[in-house]
Amino acid sequence: MPDVHALVNDFLIKLKRRKIEGSKATAKVTAEVLRSFISQQRLPNTNQAGALIDAVKAVGEQLIAANPVELAVGNVVRRVLHIIREEDLSLTAAAIGGLSLSAGSDDEDDVGHDEHPALSAAAVAAAARSTLRPPSLQTLLEDVPHTAAVPHTSSSGGDSEGKSKSADKNSSTKRLKHNVIEAVNELIQDIVTCHEQIAEQAVEHIHQNEVILTLGSSRTVVEFLCAAKEKKRSFRVFVAEGAPRYQGHTLAKELVTRGLQTTVITDSAVFAMISRVNMVIVGAHAVMANGGVIAPVGLNMVALAAQRHAVPFVVLAGIHKLCPLYPHNPEVLLNELRSPSELLDFGEFSDCLDFGSGSGSPILHVVNPAFDYVPPNLVSLFITDTGGHNPSYMYRLIADYYSANDLVLQRRSAS
Amino acid sequence: MWYRSASFILDQQQNDGVAQPESRLLSPTAPSPSMAETPQQNPKISAYYQTRAAHHGVVSSDWLAQAQAAVGRQADEAVSDDSLSLKSGESPKAFSVIDEFNNWRKQPELAEAVAAIRALASVIRSSEANTMMELEIELKKASDSLKSWDTTSISLTAGCDLFMRYVTRTSALEYEDFNSAKSRLLERAEKFGEISYKARRIIAMLSQDFIFDGCTILVHGFSRVVLEVLRTAAQNRKLFRIFCTEGRPDRTGLRLSNELAKLDVPVKLLIDSAVAYSMDEVDMVFVGADGVVESGGIINMMGTYQIALVAKSMSKPVYVAAESYKFARLYPLNQKDMVPALRPIDFGVPIPSKVEVETSARDYTPPQYLTLLFTDLGVLTPSVVSDELIQLYL
Repeated sequence: MPDVHALVNDFLIKLKRRKIEGSKATAKVTAEVLRSFISQQRLPNTNQAGALIDAVKAVGEQLIAANPVELAVGNVVRRVLHIIREEDLSLTAAAIGGLSLSAGSDDEDDVGHDEHPALSAAAVAAAARSTLRPPSLQTLLEDVPHTAAVPHTSSSGGDSEGKSKSADKNSSTKRLKHNVIEAVNELIQDIVTCHEQIAEQAVEHIHQNEVILTLGSSRTVVEFLCAAKEKKRSFRVFVAEGAPRYQGHTLAKELVTRGLQTTVITDSAVFAMISRVNMVIVGAHAVMANGGVIAPVGLNMVALAAQRHAVPFVVLAGIHKLCPLYPHNPEVLLNELRSPSELLDFGEFSDCLDFGSGSGSPILHVVNPAFDYVPPNLVSLFITDTGGHNPSYMYRLIADYYSANDLVLQRRSAS
Repeated sequence: MWYRSASFILDQQQNDGVAQPESRLLSPTAPSPSMAETPQQNPKISAYYQTRAAHHGVVSSDWLAQAQAAVGRQADEAVSDDSLSLKSGESPKAFSVIDEFNNWRKQPELAEAVAAIRALASVIRSSEANTMMELEIELKKASDSLKSWDTTSISLTAGCDLFMRYVTRTSALEYEDFNSAKSRLLERAEKFGEISYKARRIIAMLSQDFIFDGCTILVHGFSRVVLEVLRTAAQNRKLFRIFCTEGRPDRTGLRLSNELAKLDVPVKLLIDSAVAYSMDEVDMVFVGADGVVESGGIINMMGTYQIALVAKSMSKPVYVAAESYKFARLYPLNQKDMVPALRPIDFGVPIPSKVEVETSARDYTPPQYLTLLFTDLGVLTPSVVSDELIQLYL
């Protein structure tokens, strides 16, 4: 236990000080920390899934609070919670299958009990299905009594079947944790290999003699373009430099070493050059539930230019970047202000930025936001490790990977 | 000769229909002779909108008298027609469905769909069936008679369909005996009223994030859900102000501004035509919905489409607050593609009889003008609605 605590605290400090850069790295470390945390957890005999979920939620809240702008942390926490619920459901379904057989043989004299396991089997399955899926019209009428009745019947069924079930329970204790950890390993594997999976689809989208535009630098985009190059497509790339960090320069260098013809332009020239471009391909920091994109600063402008000239705007994003929340004020709440030294040299502007002299507050302010919000109507296509999707399809992926109960992790005090 | 769309065929049929009002047994055609300024077309006065106006509008007393007379006549009609069209053994039950429904419907806090489900629950309670199949058939008859009594109300239809769907699915799980199944259905139907209240609270909670301090919200129509949203925001000490459209002819804006003034929220009343003029000061538009259709669009009080168009052209988000039982299996292709729901409009001065009045009470807002829907199923984009409906009805 102590080493897990130390691990978590270490990670919290790194998050607060923004030492970990990039959503992929953050997602991977979060998953690993949660995996160690789960393996160290000691679970009670009954309702293990609930206890595990509560423990992971508690840790998850801390992690999210450390860096609220890095949405990948919250995404991974919610994925793990969803995994726990799924594994619990499949284990329960398997156990019920065994339970109904044993019930038929044991309690032949007690008619009431005979009906109970059969009732609880269907009821548990139905309720479990409904708790796993997001709330829907189908479950509208089922919702109220089922969730109250189900734990009751399953626990009473467990008490009556005492000994025959306890053997099952001990094995299922270990099996839940084991299954969950296996699934989290798969999750980590998916996060690590997301670039390859996305790059596999490159050849479908990039055709011969095309001109691609991108801004700044993204690992996913590099892999994507190089995969197309490997399949012997010849195309040109326009790279907008991405002020103030000028990561476009490093991207251009890398593309040249791989043998792609590259042109470097300033951000301001994007509107001028967009008419000569066939497609815009960019990476993202996070994808929100409505299909909107949190992307490096400058991409909103590129998206608007692309829409104006009817150029497809394609966003590459691994599934760990998909966030189940809706952005209600993304420019403010999901943005980070970086150091003004990236824009202005302190030496030259020291008299303007001096807080001590004169009236106290300087007239010159420098704002250096890190991210832009691109609304969903500007995005043509999302390419994820599972394939290409429309922005309006994002909600389906969310339903597959996240549970509705886990969406609100922070507000426990609210009604 | 003015009509360019295919719907003029429908209008012509209605014109023919004026000559034979008796042909439709359960439709509310009785009030037509009582209206002095009736246009030439057959006015299918919508009972749904009459009720809403009675609950939420500031009504003039003579209109109220007309409305009450109309409702009274419909109930009488329902009695006489039910005894004509249905078997004698079942007519007391069918009579009680519509009567029950009318009783529930009059309560101002109760949603229409909840009233429908409560009425159907009373059918179950008074039923003498011995098998699920028989019960289902009775319920289907009752549901059909409710739906045909007021064809214009979408939440009524949707509520009935939802309950029927639930009944058929429950009976598929044949693990209970009939009496326990029946009592479970009854219990579930009674609980549906709670679900409706819970739904409003869930919607209010979900939309809190979208209301930020210092925002200006434009509200159209009197929706109890939207009122709950604003009430919760006011209780959470958020600072915002409301622009409220007047909402002719129901004058919903006056009623809404009364309620908001009680909450100490700054309110500004706009006449309906002043919406575009004030739209640049507005941060978001909040409306309720009478029904949410399969395309993701909404059917709401007349004027919503206009406001959504203006908001879209000025890039303002339009948020809809609707409970999930308002999702309906309709797909209107244009404004006239729905069952007409007409409302009497009082201009205050007599109108010459040659002048036509557009009395439709509602319009259809297509999904591309809506930003998000807040429902008890969560925050949804308009494209999710058809998915939900397919899941339910497939």
